[in-house]
Amino acid sequence: MTHNGISRYSMEIATALLTGGIGLAICYGAWQVGTGWTPSGPDSGYFPFWIGVLVVAGSVVNLLRTIVGHRHKDEIFLDAARLKSLARFVLPILGFAVISLLLGLYVGTTLYVLFAMRLQGHYAWWKSLASGVAISVCFYLLFELVFQVPLLKGPLEHAFGIY
Amino acid sequence: MNNLSLLMDGFATILTWNHLLIMVIGVMLGMLVGVLPGLGAPNGVSLLLPLTFTMDPVSAIILLSCMYWGALFGGSTTSILFNIPGEPSSVATTFDGYPMARNGEATRALTLAFMSAGLGALAGVVMITLLASSVAQFGLKFSSPEYFAVYFLAFCSFIGMSSSAPSKTLVSMMLGLAFATVGMDSVSGGLRLTFDIPDLVKGISFLVAVMGLFGIAELMVTTEEGLSFNGIKSRIRVRDILRTMAELPRYWASLVRSILIGIWMGITPAGPTAASFMSHGIAKRFSRHPERFGKGEPNGIVSPEAADHSAGTSALLPMLALGVPGSATAAVMMGGLMIWGLTPGPMLFITRPDFVWGLVASMYLGNVVAVILVLSTVPLYASILRVPFAIIGPVIVAVIFTGVYQVANSTFDFWLLLFFALLGYLFKKLDYPVAPLVLTMVLGHRAEEAFRQSMVMSDGSVTVFWSNSLVSTIMGLGVLMLVWPLFSRMLGLRGWRRRLHRQKPQASKPATPDSRP
Amino acid sequence: MYKRNPLSAHQLKPLALLFAALTVSGSALAWQPERPVEFVVTSGAGGGTDTFARTVQSIIGKHKLMDKSIIVSNKGGGSGAEGYVYSASSQDDPYKLTFGTNNEYLLPEVGEMPYAADDLQPVAAMAMDEFLIWVNGDADYASAKDFIDAAKQNPGKMQFAGSQSKDTDQTLVSMIEEATGTDFRYVPFNGGSQALVQLAGGHVDANVNNPNENLGQWQAGMVKPLCVFSPEQLPKGEPVYQGKGWGDIPTCQSQGIDISEYRMPRTVWLPAGAHEEAVTYYQELLRKVSETPEWKDYTTRTVQTSRFLTGDELQQYIDDNAKSVKKVFEQEGWNAS
Repeated sequence: MTHNGISRYSMEIATALLTGGIGLAICYGAWQVGTGWTPSGPDSGYFPFWIGVLVVAGSVVNLLRTIVGHRHKDEIFLDAARLKSLARFVLPILGFAVISLLLGLYVGTTLYVLFAMRLQGHYAWWKSLASGVAISVCFYLLFELVFQVPLLKGPLEHAFGIY
Repeated sequence: MNNLSLLMDGFATILTWNHLLIMVIGVMLGMLVGVLPGLGAPNGVSLLLPLTFTMDPVSAIILLSCMYWGALFGGSTTSILFNIPGEPSSVATTFDGYPMARNGEATRALTLAFMSAGLGALAGVVMITLLASSVAQFGLKFSSPEYFAVYFLAFCSFIGMSSSAPSKTLVSMMLGLAFATVGMDSVSGGLRLTFDIPDLVKGISFLVAVMGLFGIAELMVTTEEGLSFNGIKSRIRVRDILRTMAELPRYWASLVRSILIGIWMGITPAGPTAASFMSHGIAKRFSRHPERFGKGEPNGIVSPEAADHSAGTSALLPMLALGVPGSATAAVMMGGLMIWGLTPGPMLFITRPDFVWGLVASMYLGNVVAVILVLSTVPLYASILRVPFAIIGPVIVAVIFTGVYQVANSTFDFWLLLFFALLGYLFKKLDYPVAPLVLTMVLGHRAEEAFRQSMVMSDGSVTVFWSNSLVSTIMGLGVLMLVWPLFSRMLGLRGWRRRLHRQKPQASKPATPDSRP
Repeated sequence: MYKRNPLSAHQLKPLALLFAALTVSGSALAWQPERPVEFVVTSGAGGGTDTFARTVQSIIGKHKLMDKSIIVSNKGGGSGAEGYVYSASSQDDPYKLTFGTNNEYLLPEVGEMPYAADDLQPVAAMAMDEFLIWVNGDADYASAKDFIDAAKQNPGKMQFAGSQSKDTDQTLVSMIEEATGTDFRYVPFNGGSQALVQLAGGHVDANVNNPNENLGQWQAGMVKPLCVFSPEQLPKGEPVYQGKGWGDIPTCQSQGIDISEYRMPRTVWLPAGAHEEAVTYYQELLRKVSETPEWKDYTTRTVQTSRFLTGDELQQYIDDNAKSVKKVFEQEGWNAS
């Protein structure tokens, strides 16, 4: 963090570490199922293992390029203002995921649309709520009635006898 | 010609008001299914299947196949408007379709996509009409080594120079391969890379990955930049649609090339997704202005769309001529055939010509109906972009979440979606290319499978990939594609200079009257 | 997942009364579905299991055998494991009727699966799918004997195509090797239709597809059957190709391959712990389905043997089947862990 926000330098490093970590996980997973080359061709983990190795190698190069080359030192990845508007968008999505797990997608959708419209667009409460409910109802009609694909439901729907 | 007279009989069978109505309903339902990211063509068709149990086979297949056409068109719509591919095969359309729409030319992008898609589909049907049996025999020549060669070729024609650092391209490419290998390994029959998480047994769904990498990540970048789509004030006029249609002949080379690629991929069956990626890659490679691709180049929309649809249509040929499905959707339709009491197979042409030629005739008519219907929705779709982002953004997110849930009724996929969204956002901001990840995720697993099957067949000898003229030709083409940039730079110095002079009049603006021949 | 209905007091009194009535009369009133039933299909759309489930669905719909609607969901990932895991994870849910084959109890044997065979309880087996040895239509073999002789001449050279790895196909191929002292190469493709294309294109020497998977191509003479793995010949039907029909195919045993019977049951399951009355309800429902002319039509057309098994009889069948297959797994060393 610099006083201007998050620097690109630190994000480059973080991303390289993230992909490198995934690469190591891939190698480990592949190692569990065998990475050899049998008489009838490669083992189950042969390709995944070398793929993992390449991911790690690429990540290391990215890391070194950033650190050794002092690249992107002065670039800003996200300044405070952008971080704020991004958080306004991302946090409701996280809330959406959690609420959907607990209460089902219909309740989740209604609440999410309500809060997202409030937070991002500063719409009136009643407008946001009406939109949320309208979208949920549309989903219900479309998915449950027209296409007959059930969405995740929670205690509220069950209380009304909708499964 | 005999086939033509049979086709005329087919038209006679289907030209009733009843069937036309079924076509319109099928196409509209299909468009809806295609627009909704979780449903997709194979699901949509199987959802309609119960309705057809009481119908006669000809009406039933018209309904299902028209739904398929509609879904193919619908899939490109969301690719262009929101960077969310409704179908795996429309991923390649996002590369240039979405940038063009963001430049304020949504109408042009949609029209280009729909028209070239329609042409691609028609070309596919013409091929089925004229060459059905001989082309199907060609498809039988393909075994695992040839499949591997085709995937190799698709891969080589897409991967090329990009502005990103090679190490970043490598990471992106390899991650795609790794994600594709999660789940059941069909060659050994065991699970791998599932880390004892039950929800990973089914693998990582490509759709979930794409909705995160493209859909949500794009929205994150958009919000960060200030809550609006650029160019939403573009006017929507019917004249724009007509003008774009007149512009189409200029892309004839891309169209023809992509249609051929599509037909080939449809019958072999590597599938529409490989076809669309490959023709986008080749269009870029042979273009005079490869640097314009990814920024809204018309050829970058026309190529994947024409290939996608000609492949999607041709994929029905193996079903009709051989009784084997050429795509997931064709597999569902074949299941339908059996329930209606028909036996899919080569003899279907002889035992039920009314059915086969009715279907072929409905492919002509259904696609025309579909193009007319989708073109008439262009103003509607384009006007969606005028809705304030604070409203449309949450709606898109909600649609994505419902779509992700529908892929496998698994809530674990929510977290996968968020993971891919984060990855996509980081990649976008840090100049990692996302396209290689998506391509390898689609093709990587199948390529590995084909490779290992070939190894089993050849007793572990790699020479199987040069063992006959067909497979060596395809492998050779692949290598050629890989070295083409180098090659053309060595030979084409003069052409390059010529290009410099031409650059001015061919700026990537919409067609202007003076550019007409 | 929410299995119970958290009814609050102020809510819809009549419904509460109805519930009270239900609990009082208890066992007198048989179990009935109160909401849509999900048919979990452990194969992709268009696969054999999918056709099976959708045929049952269409028959229930046509004869109105059930009041509530049916939702079919395809969960064919991981060779069907996806569907079984999905059902197993919703313990005692009587609304997840799961359609499969014997892979329900075979998959956990060969691989580390996140479900155990006991996590689902068998409801019924409805039909037995046959297995045959198929060769390319232009192949020289006049009989299964010729084929086996050729295999003995070329040990380790002749190739069988099959749907998946360590599945019913590969098990059968191992059994053939064991019974005849031959050595084949088994190539796992993705599903029966791929195995068929490879055979029709002449890339492999044989496959062991089910009758239905190859019917259309036999009609055209692209492939031909050599023998069938059933104790007696299949029922006579209409001729398929050059005057020969299903009934004319000799049994493999008569051709010197000592495997009297190898079949794949088409099975229906519920999550373990689902109410016994629900199991009885579905058994009755499926029995009614199996007695319709449409069902007969389906089994005839797909050349399956209609055989309705429930309860102890079914359990016995499963135990026997699992035992014989496990023997092969042990021989081949495919067992998980």
